[in-house]
Amino acid sequence: MRHAVTRTILVSLALAALSVTGCKKSTPTSNAGPANASPGAKVSYTIGMSQCNLGEPWRVQMNDDVRKAAEAHPEITMIFKDAQNDTLKQRAHVEEFVSAGVDLIIISPKEAQPLTEPVAKAMQAGIPVIVLDRRVLGDEYTCFIGADNKLIGRKAGEWIVKTLGGKGNVVELEGLMTSTPGQDRHSGFRDAIKGSDINIIFEADMKWLEPDARKEMESALSRFDNIDLVYAHNDPGAHGAYLAAQAAGRADKIKFVGIDALPQEGVVYVKQGILAATFQYPTGGAEAIDMALKILHGESVPKEITLGSRVFTKENVDAGGDPI
Amino acid sequence: MYTMQAVAGPTQTDTPLLAMTAICKTFGSQEVLRDVAFDLRAGELHVLAGENGAGKSTLMRILGGVIPADHGHSHINGSEVLFRNPRDAANSGVAIIHQELSLVGSMSVADNLFLGHECSTAGWLHQSDSNQRAREVLGRVGLSIDPRSAVDSLPISSQQLVEIAKALALDAQIIVMDEPTSALSEPEVRNLFARIADLKSQGCGIIYITHRLEEIYTIADRISVLRDGALVATRDRSDLPPDELVRLLVGRNISDQAPRRSVTTNDIRLQVQHCTVRATRADVPPVVEDVSFDVRRGEILGVVGLEGSGVSELLWANFGGLANRATSQITIDGSRTRINSPRDAIDAGVALVTNDRKRTGLILGMDIVQNSTLAALPRLSPFTWLNHSAETSLASESAQQLNLRAASMRQHVSTLSGGNQQKVVLAKWMGTNPRVLLLDDPTRGVDVGAKHEIYLLMNQWSEQGRSIVFSSSEWPELLQVSDRIIVMHRGRIVASFERGAATPADLLRAAMGSTRDE
Amino acid sequence: MAPSDERTGWRARLTSPTATALFALCFVLLIGLIFSGDGAFYKWSTHRDALRQASVYGILACGMTFVIITAGIDLSVGSVLALVAVAFSILSIHKDWSPWLAVPACLAFGAACGATSGAVIARLRIQPFIVTLAMMVFARGLAKTISGGMKVSTAMQRPDGSWAAAPVPDVFKAIDSRLLGDNISVVSLIFIACIAISWIVLSRLRWGRYLYAIGGNEEAARLSGVPVVAMKILAYALAGAFSAVAGLCQAAQEQQGDPEAGIGYELTAIAIVVIGGTNLMGGRGGIGLTLLGTLTIGYLDKILSVNAVPEASRLMLTGVIIIVAVLLQRRKD
Repeated sequence: MRHAVTRTILVSLALAALSVTGCKKSTPTSNAGPANASPGAKVSYTIGMSQCNLGEPWRVQMNDDVRKAAEAHPEITMIFKDAQNDTLKQRAHVEEFVSAGVDLIIISPKEAQPLTEPVAKAMQAGIPVIVLDRRVLGDEYTCFIGADNKLIGRKAGEWIVKTLGGKGNVVELEGLMTSTPGQDRHSGFRDAIKGSDINIIFEADMKWLEPDARKEMESALSRFDNIDLVYAHNDPGAHGAYLAAQAAGRADKIKFVGIDALPQEGVVYVKQGILAATFQYPTGGAEAIDMALKILHGESVPKEITLGSRVFTKENVDAGGDPI
Repeated sequence: MYTMQAVAGPTQTDTPLLAMTAICKTFGSQEVLRDVAFDLRAGELHVLAGENGAGKSTLMRILGGVIPADHGHSHINGSEVLFRNPRDAANSGVAIIHQELSLVGSMSVADNLFLGHECSTAGWLHQSDSNQRAREVLGRVGLSIDPRSAVDSLPISSQQLVEIAKALALDAQIIVMDEPTSALSEPEVRNLFARIADLKSQGCGIIYITHRLEEIYTIADRISVLRDGALVATRDRSDLPPDELVRLLVGRNISDQAPRRSVTTNDIRLQVQHCTVRATRADVPPVVEDVSFDVRRGEILGVVGLEGSGVSELLWANFGGLANRATSQITIDGSRTRINSPRDAIDAGVALVTNDRKRTGLILGMDIVQNSTLAALPRLSPFTWLNHSAETSLASESAQQLNLRAASMRQHVSTLSGGNQQKVVLAKWMGTNPRVLLLDDPTRGVDVGAKHEIYLLMNQWSEQGRSIVFSSSEWPELLQVSDRIIVMHRGRIVASFERGAATPADLLRAAMGSTRDE
Repeated sequence: MAPSDERTGWRARLTSPTATALFALCFVLLIGLIFSGDGAFYKWSTHRDALRQASVYGILACGMTFVIITAGIDLSVGSVLALVAVAFSILSIHKDWSPWLAVPACLAFGAACGATSGAVIARLRIQPFIVTLAMMVFARGLAKTISGGMKVSTAMQRPDGSWAAAPVPDVFKAIDSRLLGDNISVVSLIFIACIAISWIVLSRLRWGRYLYAIGGNEEAARLSGVPVVAMKILAYALAGAFSAVAGLCQAAQEQQGDPEAGIGYELTAIAIVVIGGTNLMGGRGGIGLTLLGTLTIGYLDKILSVNAVPEASRLMLTGVIIIVAVLLQRRKD
């Protein structure tokens, strides 16, 4: 009886297995630029930072960027909370910040809909809220800071068109296509190559995962003898594709382009000559602290800040990349 | 030995309650039933006898709608019926009570009784109606228990009656009982028989499958004998004396008296002192309390007790089968031996045949060779490397000695008959070459022929100097086979008889613990 | 009544688990022959890659087979894979351990994780599902702890804060290379070696017989002198050791130790074992079936990939094919 139940659960789980082999989004990162010290801070401030999931390296980086920026301002005390990918937990964290009476909340929400109301409540309680990376609904927040995946995708596309001289065979390895970053990096790229003679000969969803990217690239390699470039929605994806091509002895004939440019990942791949280029997806951690100080000092801030990106190539990588 | 009387005779009517004619069934190339005609009258108990493999179960599965017949017809109360599935059969008033009960242990008695036929309106259960009806039905089988109690809190004997009550709750007219007494003690058997008499007087017809001659001659009205798929005789009980029945069953003359030539010597082989087994619950007195006995080389010691007297536990305890629940000082051939686990016991030359081969004896998914070498494997596989040919030859050797009948040694034991399965269990222990054999009801659920063979084997073992501690639910046989008998009651030894000094009645009196009071 | 002699006939062979598993594999291969991805399916390199891709799952499934045969389950294999991948990367890239030291250390580490689960399951009699679920969470946490939450790659931080790449360790390159004229991946050979070792344990060693006996009827096995506790610990330790092997392969193929690696792999491993036809109730099955299950899942994955089937359709097709395969098994029981 008990066994039967266990078995049923397991079989269902096992089936689910093949469907959800990866739902993590390992992405991009930050410029980690030094924060501007704002002068004339007299009082001390407590800022609550609610992170939706520290399981992702990019979000670890975001927290690091926030922490580093805040350390430059001794008057700021940070409280970090990790919702471990649980919407309800994050909701509770916001409510705890409100009842603890923090001076400002920075939130990188897991989902828009369920976190809209807690954010609005915090605003009504007189606590300014900075929303990072993902949005909430409506306009009851102080400031949104985020990067534009579509823009990054378009910049990558333009760079590829230029690099290939307007024509060539390209493999696109997509991030999870049910996620907004995946969709935006795809559509921005496609917009940019429109009108050129670039052919997308193979596209596959590698779910942000390096082993999956390698598997898909192997398939592309066995189907097509002429591949000029691989555009992957993140750097691990591009690296996986590189390893597949290297194993097939074709790595030197193919260029690899990735997104995210984490300092210890994509940027290093460019230095090694594995990637031809990688496009930064900034965390906005440092900018969030800048804005926080402005808000706390009573200065006005824009409602919406779109972060810029940087491109890293062999030529500029040692100089820290170029803004785009 | 049973003392039940006043069994109502069958009511003779022109149309039988059930008539099955010209039933044929073939599995693959094997003809399992050949032109079988069987009938059952209202108010009669019809014993269906046959060795394992004779076709009894197949016939009953056809009756129960589990499998279809290849040919033949069934009539109930004169009208033809065709059962496509067990539900059809149940709706026509056929209930089959299997040896392994089919109750849901965690559910209440009432819920079990009406499972699939709940008292409900539009899915809403009527608990009190259901309990009320349950009490009525339970009353008909003489059970006065709370219908809300969980089935697994009841003793096996009550569960059996609940199963019968379940049949009655469905208005069953035809009740098939497959070895219903195999797990019951003597008084429980008598109670069951009294209930069967009630059912008969209520007009039910009962088809009764059993291997026990005593039972047949206590309760049967008519007896049908199946042999190798053919019905060889249907007679009134009075027209079929036991010798004749045994001859019909096996198709040859065998003496059902197990010959016993005592070879007991005076050397004490196994000495057990101060054996105590705690109950699983702390507030209950020990199951076995300070029991001491010894067995001489070549001796067969019979142990007798009613259900719950601690006989099985006594055997398990001295095999290390109960882990830390049991304490016992064991001396084998004069040297103190520590037995804390079955492995210790096997190394010390002790073997245990449990009374439930499917649950604790065999690995049903394994084949004959793998089962029969399981206990002897360390000896057969030096450095843990298996030696398949040594295994096969050991298993074949045992199989030959035991007269094990199987198509192939690679046959899964789940496909063997009860008697042959038991022989595989015995083969497993022969492989360890034991000095002491603890046999807990080794003939349970095996056919007459196999029983006889098992008794002969026990004789052989004792001639080889092995000592045997033997319990059985069939006391007449135990009396014939044992050199000496000890009787247990509530975890203690209350009596001891030398060979030939006791009658079944003596044993029963001692086992019921009533000698002193009366 | 006794279907005895029929069982050995050709009819029985056709419905044996091996035959149905083989049938499922042939079915998938047939799909590949029809939808060949512009002929890619007719090239050996495609098959070589399919085998490479399936190897990590297959190695995990080898370990899972032992556990499932004892009627248990091990949910921690994916996490142990990540833990070992991280540990192996740290030892090989940052601590410069020789592979002759690092590889045995990692295998022992994985086996120790499994043995811990096994000991709790067998000694304290707690359900395998719960115990290995706990180990799954714990090992993942430990992997994140020792890696500092980041991938352990060849990227090294210089004193000035910038990053540079160290060389990829030779042992990584060796594991992620090919032999026999570029025709077979080393990880595939490792997988085949795992299958061979598993076959020896299950079919040639007393231990294997004991594992089947425990899965078939634990009480009867105990009463026949089978050391149940030790054997269960052995089964889980083997599952841990095979997870470690998979972890080494994963690290070598990614050239890094990702603490997030192997998420959901335990379910794929279970699916492989079940599709092969090994019974989740224990006592039945075998490593040959796991090999067939691995190939079935691996080829299914490859065929969908080589045809560039969109992700959503892949999920649906995979679900349908798994159900069909499992139903084929069911008919026999």
